This record gives sequence, structure tokens and C-alpha cells, in this order.
Amino acid sequence: MSITNLLNNWSFYRNKRPYRGQYDLNKEYSEYKWAMALDLDICTGCNACTTACYAENNLPVVGKKRFHHGQVMHWIRIERYWDEKMVDFPEQGASFLPMMCQQCEAAPCETVCPVGATSHTNDGLNSQNYHRCIGSRYCSANCPYKVRYFNFWNYPSTAWPAPLPDQLNPDVTVRTKGIMEKCTFCVQRLNEAKSRARTEYRLVRDGEVVPACVQACPTSAITFGNIVDPNSKVAKMWKNQQVDLYKDLQEKDNTVRGYRILEDLRPFPSVMYMERIRDTEA
Amino acid sequence: MSESGINRRDFLKVLGLGGSSLALTGCGNTDIRSGDELIMPNVSPEDFVVPGLSVFYASTCTQCGSACGVMGRVREGRVLKMEGNPQSKISGGKICGLGQAAVQVQYNPDRLTQPMMKVGNGLQPVSWDKAMATLNEKVGPKSGIKGENFAFMTGAMSGHLKVLVQNYLDSLDSKNHFAYEALSPSIGFAANKQVYGVDMPRLHFDKAKLIVSFGSDFLGTGASPVHFAAEYAKFRKAPRGTLVQIEPKMTMTGANADRWIAIIPGTEGIFALGVANQLLKHSEFTNTVPAGIASLVSKYDPETVSQITGVRPELVGHVASLLWEKTPSIVISGASAEGHAHGVQNAVAIQLLNKILGNVGKTIDGQAKSPFPQIAPEAGSFSSLKAMNDAMGGGKLQAVFIHGANPVFTAPSFMGFRDNLRKVPFKVAFVNAADETAQECDLVLPILTAVEEFGSNIAWYQPEGVEITMQQPLMNKLYPDTRSMGDIMLDLVKQRRADEYKNWPDFFSYLKAAVINMKPAVKYTDTDEHFWYDTLSSGVIHIDAPQEQIGDSFAEAALSLPEVQNVQDPKFPFYLVPSERHYFRDGRHANCGWLQESPDPLTTIVWDSWVEIHPKTAASMGIKEGDYLEIASQNGTLKVKAYLFPGIHPDAVSIPLGQGHESLGRFANGVGVNPFTILNPVFEKDTGELAMFGTRVSVKKTSDSEIVVKDEGPVSTQMGRKLVVTLPADVAQLSKEI
Repeated sequence: MSITNLLNNWSFYRNKRPYRGQYDLNKEYSEYKWAMALDLDICTGCNACTTACYAENNLPVVGKKRFHHGQVMHWIRIERYWDEKMVDFPEQGASFLPMMCQQCEAAPCETVCPVGATSHTNDGLNSQNYHRCIGSRYCSANCPYKVRYFNFWNYPSTAWPAPLPDQLNPDVTVRTKGIMEKCTFCVQRLNEAKSRARTEYRLVRDGEVVPACVQACPTSAITFGNIVDPNSKVAKMWKNQQVDLYKDLQEKDNTVRGYRILEDLRPFPSVMYMERIRDTEA
Repeated sequence: MSESGINRRDFLKVLGLGGSSLALTGCGNTDIRSGDELIMPNVSPEDFVVPGLSVFYASTCTQCGSACGVMGRVREGRVLKMEGNPQSKISGGKICGLGQAAVQVQYNPDRLTQPMMKVGNGLQPVSWDKAMATLNEKVGPKSGIKGENFAFMTGAMSGHLKVLVQNYLDSLDSKNHFAYEALSPSIGFAANKQVYGVDMPRLHFDKAKLIVSFGSDFLGTGASPVHFAAEYAKFRKAPRGTLVQIEPKMTMTGANADRWIAIIPGTEGIFALGVANQLLKHSEFTNTVPAGIASLVSKYDPETVSQITGVRPELVGHVASLLWEKTPSIVISGASAEGHAHGVQNAVAIQLLNKILGNVGKTIDGQAKSPFPQIAPEAGSFSSLKAMNDAMGGGKLQAVFIHGANPVFTAPSFMGFRDNLRKVPFKVAFVNAADETAQECDLVLPILTAVEEFGSNIAWYQPEGVEITMQQPLMNKLYPDTRSMGDIMLDLVKQRRADEYKNWPDFFSYLKAAVINMKPAVKYTDTDEHFWYDTLSSGVIHIDAPQEQIGDSFAEAALSLPEVQNVQDPKFPFYLVPSERHYFRDGRHANCGWLQESPDPLTTIVWDSWVEIHPKTAASMGIKEGDYLEIASQNGTLKVKAYLFPGIHPDAVSIPLGQGHESLGRFANGVGVNPFTILNPVFEKDTGELAMFGTRVSVKKTSDSEIVVKDEGPVSTQMGRKLVVTLPADVAQLSKEI
């Protein structure tokens, strides 16, 4: 593409998202927008989600030394924070934050990729094309959530001593050295469900497919679904919590718990968190 | 092949396949006999295997004793992932990380794949024929092994394998079944038995408006963590319940509390009596306990309680007022309150609050009673280890079998278990990996993992009715030279009672017959075959058994807690809290990469052991994160690096259990230290159980230090960013939420 072509047809090539009407149940290839709602009040910080992710997505175990070098590959991690006002003891417990790719609508990682290896799918996922990735790591540098993980090593040759490779999920690629990777909302499960639904001339039903973390979560703290469908649980929760996918700053009541993390950076994340509650009288 | 001068037909003859009536297609796709061109798939799938499609089979997770119903995702004959089984009332379709790791046990690179026999000082591989012949020679009918000179140690056990173990011991006239769990619930059981008349009452967290937990980590390591997590989620929905946690070191449950209170280990009972004293001042409650108990409790005024427990005096009244305001409530005790010389008394004092508040019958009632006592669970205890150790030390035992336990690793070093075990002439271990105990044995037999094996399980905590969770193989056995524990047991029973068991060639047929015989209990009307297949496909047998009746009796004697427990020992000034990590438990799962790399929820440390010390204490001793400390008790010293942790009492230090393996596998060996080794011989006086939290230690800083590898960043707060936002409970309107 020549620069002249680009400048002359700027409005055509410029892809501003999100915009209202981008997703529409009645428009082909726009019927899905996968989203999450995560209740921090019932998340116990147990790490069942992270282990489920290792099992589902062929995440390599990197070992102590590489973990220390920041080369751990956990697509979902539990962050633990202590209260800033803590005097002697954390009397209101700890704060746990499950953090995974937020599948931003205006993803900061996408615009900086020199080869277009990370881009948006029709169903609102921030995808990573392993074949196209050249390992510049610009995306990781630009991600405000720090949820992109780079294969510094050739893990297929070291991380799964035999017969551990027998456990690998055949639906998910095993990534090699020099590739960036991240949470996909278990796109292999989504694609299978979408394909099954298509052969039956219908849309994916609410609850028909969930990512591995959602399926495992012992307290059911995570809700997942198609937010385009107003009857899906996740859409109802977002609406009830007064979080609008298309707004960068929410105007909501004080009593309502929904929020998106680092929203003021305007990445328009697809994950809504619900505030942790503490009984201040206790 | 033409180059070497032989044609394809000759080649097949060499391989012993010549003249085969099967179409063995090569590159040319020609029929061997006629030479016709054939179109054949490269891989002929077996029954039920559709390439590219996953099939889910129901089974039971045996990673801990909760017996969650699970589903194994199977593709092309391999099990790939574990999910919860929605038909199980215990798991409710959910699963924890420990359960996920069952596939890493299955495909563990360090699994034992063939029988081993001790030759000299090492283990050498032998054939099964040789192994079974040795078993027959050493413990068979002609061996003279009988009665008191034989012992069978297992872990916690239930189901039909337990029946076979029992019957085998019966055939030997031996009563020595030692069910040993290093982290057993026995002390809590004894207190419950005293108060409620049952080992374990049923706890209704979802019905409670307030949970006051004295050290019970029910979300992480309790009786049934996945079930309790679901109950906890209901408890946190509108109207949101409040959780108060009182313990010396913050557990995962404590991290989720609305109010977390640090207490000196062992003084939990005093605190409970102090709260009881405040409650009894309300006229409503005065007649709930006998006058004797009321007067006994009355000496615990807030100031006295504060002096003993190290908790601020106003918190005693505060907890009492919370209990007064929020009904119904539930008060529970856990490991850190029970693991003391007066552990039963502590737990009884804690349960007294339920009695005063009238919670018994509301949030605490009886579990359903299993109609089949023979397969009922045996939770395991420390006293069995002690009994076996004494018998071995006295030279009584001529042969021992060990299955489902690793006592050489978990027995405290003061017991001298390893030396006593060596005195036994013939020792057999049934294992998945050659662990520390197996290294000491004369015969080590590789058994199938839980995902390759048939079986039946009953958990000792049953949320609804009685659930018998069924195990079925999720795949063929990975190694030809591993055998089913059930099959081995059946062979052993047949050594002496061949006639009684002749109808069953293997454990599968035995289990099938046994399960079909249960049919009347579940009012199933279809045929036996259908019942068996329905049972396997749903993974659970649900029996609507009547609830056990529970009482609530409190003896004054049980509540007379030792006067002053906070004795300062100048030589060993710190309390040792050996903490149970929810994915490691007693250490049997340490050889899973996923679990080693799963950060500890509170410290976020991976692949290591550490000692938690309060930042104030650390500052007074000049200790920084990563400094190696020498933690010494009367029975040993551990060198372990420091982690500054605010969720611990300043007079206590805590080391997690489960690491410090010498022989379990590549992911566990040489990682961290084993705090079991330095525990003191302090025993609970009613039950004889080891008082896990009764050890005192000294802390000495060394000049060494090393970076602590953890997921946490350089700061542990949110630095003013709105990452996790906290809303006060009185502002939130949960009832309006979806």
C-alpha cells in the first residue's frame, strides 16, 4: 500500500473500535463478542484457574531459574496485594486479582506489532498468530496489564520430559522459541462450539462453552459468554453493573460493583471485574 | 528393500507376520494375498475412539480425601484433562488445581514402571513373576507370617479396596491395619465425638450469616475444599455473610476474611471462652449452659484473655457482639487450634460457642450415615504410625506392607522411623513412584495410577446423603509392567482364601459384583447390567440415607483449659507453625511441575521452601527477605530463607510442609526443606495424636542470603492504582445484582 493510497482512503483503512453497531446478532460475522465478568468478592485466590489453564493450553513449566528471570508462562495469574493502610496485620485479609489478557477492543498491543501478528477477530478476541510473529516483543512492552508471555527458550524440547507430552492438548499448538503468546479465552473451545452451532443453523447457546478457568473455578467467580446476546448471563451482568463496553469512563452508582481495570488508558477491555467487599463493621 | 535383496513378503515372514490373514498395508496399499489395490486408513481406531473428538468419562479424584466426582477428557485413548463432574454433589462440576494435576501424576516422567527388589543397598528391576513368587515365599501360607507379626500401613481409605485390605488382614489373623495420615483430622474428630456424638457433623456455611473460624482453612485444605468453596460462594451472596478468622498464620481462608485476628498458637480455646463469657452476659443466653460451665467461663474477662492470647482486649467483646448480632452463625475449629497438647479441649471450647448461640440444629447438623460400614471411610491418624513404629522398634513385625503413605518422609525424626523400618525383615511398598519409603523397602511394586484403575470411594465429609464415587480407568495402562492394586490384593487374599474369592478373576469383576449387590440400597429398578453401566457413566451412586442424630453435651472437665499457656522459653522463643499448602498437603504431590510452579496464594513463592516471619520481628533481628535463617527445635535444625509476611503473629514463624524430598522425582528432589523432621514429641493428651503446632524453635540469622523466587513484584500494595477496589459491605447492594 502506498502512503498516498493510505492517506487518500484514510477513513476506509482507519479502524476505530469499538463503535456501536460493531456487533449485531443479526449481522453475519458480527454475532459474537466474548466477554467475562469476574466477581472479586468470591474469588478465593486458590489458583484452580491457573492450573486448569496449564492443562488446557499446553503451558510449559519453566522452572525456578527462568521463573526468577520473569520468563514464567502463566496466561492467567493471581496477583496478591496487601492493604496500603495496613498497620501491623492485614486485618481485612488479602486482595486477590486474577489477571489474564483482557481482550481489549482497542488493544494497545495490536497497533505496535510490526508484522500484524496480533489482531482482532470478528468475535472480539485479540488473537495471536504464531506463524506470523517475529518476536519483536513490542506488544508485550505496550500491554498495560503485562499479560503477554514470550518464549525465550525452546520449551518443546525441555519442558515436557517423556511421557508428559502425552498430556498435551491436541487442539492447541505447542509454541516454540521466539514466539509471543497469551490468553486466548480458550479459542479452541470457542471455535469448536461455533462450528458445531453453525452446522445446526443456530448460534452458540449461553453456557454451552466456557474457557478452562471458568469451568474449573470452585466458587464460580467467573462468568463467560457472548455479550452481544442481551439474554446471556454475562450481558445481563454487565448491564446490571452499569459497565458499557463502548464507554471509556463509566458513569455508575456508588453501590454498583462493576469496573474495568486501567479503563482510563482507553483499551476498552472485555473483562469486567466486580469489586471485592469487606464488612467494615467486622 | 529391493536393495537388500529381500521382497516385502519375505520381510513379513521374518517379522513373524507372514501368511497373515490381516491386510497389512504398506506404501503400495496392496493386499498381500491378491495384490489388489486397497484404500485403508493408516490408523484403524478402536471402539469408542473417534479421531479428533473428545469423550468425557466419569471417575473420582483421589488426589485428596474429598472424593470429588470428576470427568476425564479422553482423546485418541489418552486422558488429557480433568474437569468436575456436575452429577457429583461433592464437586458440583468444579475442580481444584490439585485435581487438575492428576494427569501429571499419570504422565509423570518419574513413575515407577517395573517391580524392584532390594539387592545390596539398591533397588534392582525384577519381573512380576519373580516379585509375586517372592511375596508368596515371604508372606504366603507357608511363610509362617501370621497375626501380630504382620502389619499393613495405608493412607486414608474407603471403598472396596479397603474391604480387600481388611479381608487380607483377616486371612492372616492380623489386626494391624495402620491407616496413617500425616495431616489427619483425628483431633477434631475426637472433639466432635465428645460434643456431638459423631466424628464430623455437617456444616451449613450457606445458611450462616457469620462464620467464626479458629484456624480452619476450609477453602484450602479442609475436609472438602471444592464443596466448601461452592458453599462459601453462596454464603457471600446476598445477604452477604461475614467471615472472621482467628489463627496464628494467615491461611487462604484467612486471606478472604472480613476480619483476620492474629493469635498466639494454642490459646484459641481461651479466646473462645472469653467470647463465651461476654455472650453469657446477655440474659437470653444465660441458661444455655450449666451453672458449672458458666462459672468456669466467668474468669475469662477480656483483660485476662488478652494477656494469654496476645489479642487486643476489645476484640474479645467485638467478636462476641458480632456473634450476638448475626444469627444464625457457625463457629468452627481447624488444624492450628487443634494441633496442641490440649487440642481436644481447645476444639470443645470453640464448639461451646455453637451451643450458647443455638447453632446446633441450624447451621450444624448430622451427616447421612453410610449403610455400608465395611466400605465407610477410614480417615487415618498419627497414632497408627506411632503404634506401627513401636511394634517395629520392639522387633515384633516380620513383614509390613505400605500403600498410600510415605512415612519415611512424613514421620518426625524423633521417632526414628527409618531405623525401625530397617529392623523389619521383609517390607513391601505399593507405589506410583519410588519415594523415600520405597527406597527402604525390600520389594517395591509399581501400581496403576488413579486414572488407570477401577475403584470406589466414600469421602468422610458428605454434603448430601451418602455419595459413593466410582473410579473407572480413563485410559489403558501406560506401562505394561504396572499392576492394579485391587488385582494384587485379590491375589493376596486368594493365597489363603482361594475358595471364597474364586468367582472373581480380577478386581474389576469383584467390584462389579459388589456394586451390583448395592442395587437395593438405591432403589434402582432396571437390570443389574444397566445399573453397573449407569453407575459408571454417572460416576456416582447416591444413597438417601437418614441423617445421624447429633447431641450437644459439654463436660466441665473438657473445658478446664490449662491455666497459662503462653510460657516463654528463652532457648526456643518462637512458636513453629508448620503450614499445610493446599496443593502440596503432606508432600505426596510435590513431584508435579504444575504444582511446583503454582504460586503459593499468600506469598506467591514458587519452587521452594521459606520461613514466614513478621516484618516487625524481622526488623528487630535485622532480617531481610532472602536471608537464610537457622530454625532450630530440640530435634533438628532447618536452614531456610526468610520471607517477611505480615499475616503471622510476631512470636511465630511458619514453614510450609510438603517440600524437602530426597527421592520422589526430578521436580521435587532437593527443593526446599522438610519441617516434619524438626517437630517435637508433643502429643495431644486425649488422643495421642502428634501436636503439629506444639513445637518451639529458635531463629538465628546466618550470613547467607539468596533471592526469593516469587510472582509478586517489588512492592506488595497497589500503589494507589484501582486494581482491586474494595467496597464496604453496607454500601454494596448485592440483592439487586444478577
